[in-house]
Amino acid sequence: MHAAIAVDSIVKRYGRRVALAGVTFAVRAGEIVGLLGPNGAGKSTMLSILATVLTADAGTATIGGHALPVEARAARRVLGLVPQQTAVYPTLTATENLRFFARMHGLAGGAAAAAVGRALEVIGLEGRAGEPVSTFSSGMRRRLNLACGILHEPRVLLLDEPTVGVDPQSRERIFATVVTLARAGAAVLYSTHDMEEAERLADRIVLLDRGRVAAAGTAAELVAAARLTPRLHLRTRRALRGDWLQSVHGARTVDGTGDGAVVEITDTAAVTNVLRAAADSGGGVLELALHRPSLADVFFALTGHGLRDDDTPAAAAS
Amino acid sequence: MLAALRAALAKDLRLLIRDRAGLAFLSLAPVVVISVAGFSLAGLFGAPIGGYVLPLADEDHGRLGRVLRSGLEEDAAIEVRPVADRDAARALVRRGAAGAALVIPAGASAALRAGQPVSLLLYTDPVKYLEVANVRALVQEARQRIEASGQTRVRHRLAAARHDARAARRRFERSARALRRAVDGLAARLAAARTDTERRLTALRGESSAAVARRAAVARGRLAAELAPLRQFLDELATRQRAFADWLTEARARAGRFADRLPPPPAPPPVPSAVAALAGTDATVLAERIMPPEELELPHVALPAVPTLPALDFPAFPELTVALLPGSVDVAEASVTGAPRRLNAFDQNVPGFSVTFLLLGMLLGVSLGLLDERDWGTLQRLRAMPAPLAATLVAKLLARFLVGLVQMMALFAVGRLLFGVSLGPEPWALVLPTAGIVFAATAFGLVVAGMARSRDAVLPVGSIVIVTMAAVGGCWWPIELEPGWMRDAALALPTTWAMRAYNDLMIRRAHVASVFAPTAILLAFGAAYLLLGLALFRRQTLGRS
Repeated sequence: MHAAIAVDSIVKRYGRRVALAGVTFAVRAGEIVGLLGPNGAGKSTMLSILATVLTADAGTATIGGHALPVEARAARRVLGLVPQQTAVYPTLTATENLRFFARMHGLAGGAAAAAVGRALEVIGLEGRAGEPVSTFSSGMRRRLNLACGILHEPRVLLLDEPTVGVDPQSRERIFATVVTLARAGAAVLYSTHDMEEAERLADRIVLLDRGRVAAAGTAAELVAAARLTPRLHLRTRRALRGDWLQSVHGARTVDGTGDGAVVEITDTAAVTNVLRAAADSGGGVLELALHRPSLADVFFALTGHGLRDDDTPAAAAS
Repeated sequence: MLAALRAALAKDLRLLIRDRAGLAFLSLAPVVVISVAGFSLAGLFGAPIGGYVLPLADEDHGRLGRVLRSGLEEDAAIEVRPVADRDAARALVRRGAAGAALVIPAGASAALRAGQPVSLLLYTDPVKYLEVANVRALVQEARQRIEASGQTRVRHRLAAARHDARAARRRFERSARALRRAVDGLAARLAAARTDTERRLTALRGESSAAVARRAAVARGRLAAELAPLRQFLDELATRQRAFADWLTEARARAGRFADRLPPPPAPPPVPSAVAALAGTDATVLAERIMPPEELELPHVALPAVPTLPALDFPAFPELTVALLPGSVDVAEASVTGAPRRLNAFDQNVPGFSVTFLLLGMLLGVSLGLLDERDWGTLQRLRAMPAPLAATLVAKLLARFLVGLVQMMALFAVGRLLFGVSLGPEPWALVLPTAGIVFAATAFGLVVAGMARSRDAVLPVGSIVIVTMAAVGGCWWPIELEPGWMRDAALALPTTWAMRAYNDLMIRRAHVASVFAPTAILLAFGAAYLLLGLALFRRQTLGRS
């Protein structure tokens, strides 16, 4: 069975700068894949290539089995794009926007009207359908933006940070819509900076960094692959001695300055021993928190904490 | 406070310096407008415009034509082009090769010499107002020179005639003085003769009076002696008649009652009246009656002979010099198209500013519209949709094209209703150049959208280009105001062809055929802009994605 989205060794350059340097991944029907990466990693370039807006310099990509860019027109018929910008006409009403984009998706007459009505219901804008978009809140615009991309019930849905700046209610509605589409069989590629969002929605994660796939897999796989261990965060009444953890196996101090300590746990059974050792050293534990490794930890572990503010063409486009 | 003010000032200056579009608008735009307006309107302030061709049809082949031509050729701003006849001259103006053509009608020189008014004919193209005005001024100047030259010739002739007259007058005065002397001598001689005659007559009158007096005294004496007895008899007779009457009265008184019976006495014979008159007449009177004084002859007086008058030799006056004032030279103007010679300024301004605002509308509608699509992200979304992007572009351009057409037609209607502009003999023909310029403007909007990197760059770039196109193309003032090189350069602008077509239809009152070529050129401009705009827009859109 072909993947709904198949990307193989895609290379894209902007002049001398390499935006994508041999990216390979796939998204199956009904699967939500989170596309993560810092600024300039190549996420927007990747989405633009898959959206048939850009052409790759090397490698192959298919959408719904249609090879790009040769079969771009056929690919567009199964493709839904939700760009990062709220790409709607502000002076038109929600209905007018949806009706126009339905026509541009190839829907006509009754099919278009039905699609518009369905989309309005899904995003919860029936009550404001006749008002100009310029009067909408950011969340409403985001929802309408999503609706414009799913009018034709695409088999492949590309979303580029669709929840930027939205209220929690709108965010939940967008999540629900995306999940519903995926459950209905759509392949969803979801580009985001938000690790929690990706971890919550995505069946799998593709982490891009500097134009390459830094990691791919489920969140758990990524965490496991990163070999990250849980950490105990302690706050004590007094500073602990320097050798207070010496006798405890499966634990080591990562940070022990001041009235607290961060302890890396390789064996969860050691937690009790850590607490005892802290009490024995006269620290007096006031607070205790166990932090399991998350996608964000993986992200930072793989991409580092350095800022990625270089202004690349891909960044400019995003 | 002061620190904040300083910081804010520095910030705003920094913002301005880094706003290239704004800087261009502040600096480049005024320079462009100043340059365009300065070069275009230089002719109004006396700068030589040059390049005028004046077809001259000399049907007179006389002195007037030669003088006019040489006078006009002295002006470097004009090129006199002799043509065969007035039809050829008119054709050149109608074709637009010249703004005016001069015709010297046959017989003009002869009429001028005869002092009759002469009317030159100036065919004009009302659209080329300034050129016509300049040619008119030059022709009037030449005409005034001709009139002044004629007046000078006449003045010379009159001066010669005055000289001859003065010489004749001097000769006449000499002759008159001689005549006066001769007449004076004659008068003296006549006075002497008269004095002598009077003296003689006086003497003769004395002698004659004395002789008459003497003879009258003798005659009176004789008559008195001769009439004395008659007077005595008559006196005696009268006395006796009175005595008889007394006696008769006495006799009757005595007769008493018988007096009535007395017969009347016999009447004495009456004294004849002539005898009584003779007896009563004075002797002197009788003497004058017998010898009337006029019958006394005076002696003959011999008057002196009349002196002979000298023969007067008056000089002959010279013949009057023929010095007719030359006839006036008038210049009659006629529009080659039959349109009014004075144009309605709105015939120029309504299409001109309509085209300007059409271009501005396209700048805002097409250029900013496309950039908005790009900035909103709708363009990217559309590119990911099955409908071809070209359909979106064509639809946008078509919508703007239709809006532009309606806009232009509405402005023409307003111009007609409010300002009485002419819509030409075939108003529907305005649709052709209008469609052409709207198409070109629409496509030009695409070019600007393809050139401008951002929305902020559209207004400075677009407005500079539009101002230049409108001004140089003759939308704001007649293109004939512009110097020749600028008019040549303007051929590369669609506005020039649009205005040419509108001027043909609305001012020259030409028919639809006159706008076929400009419309075709406008459509060609539109096609070229469309191709260029698509290429630029595609490159820019793809380059940014």
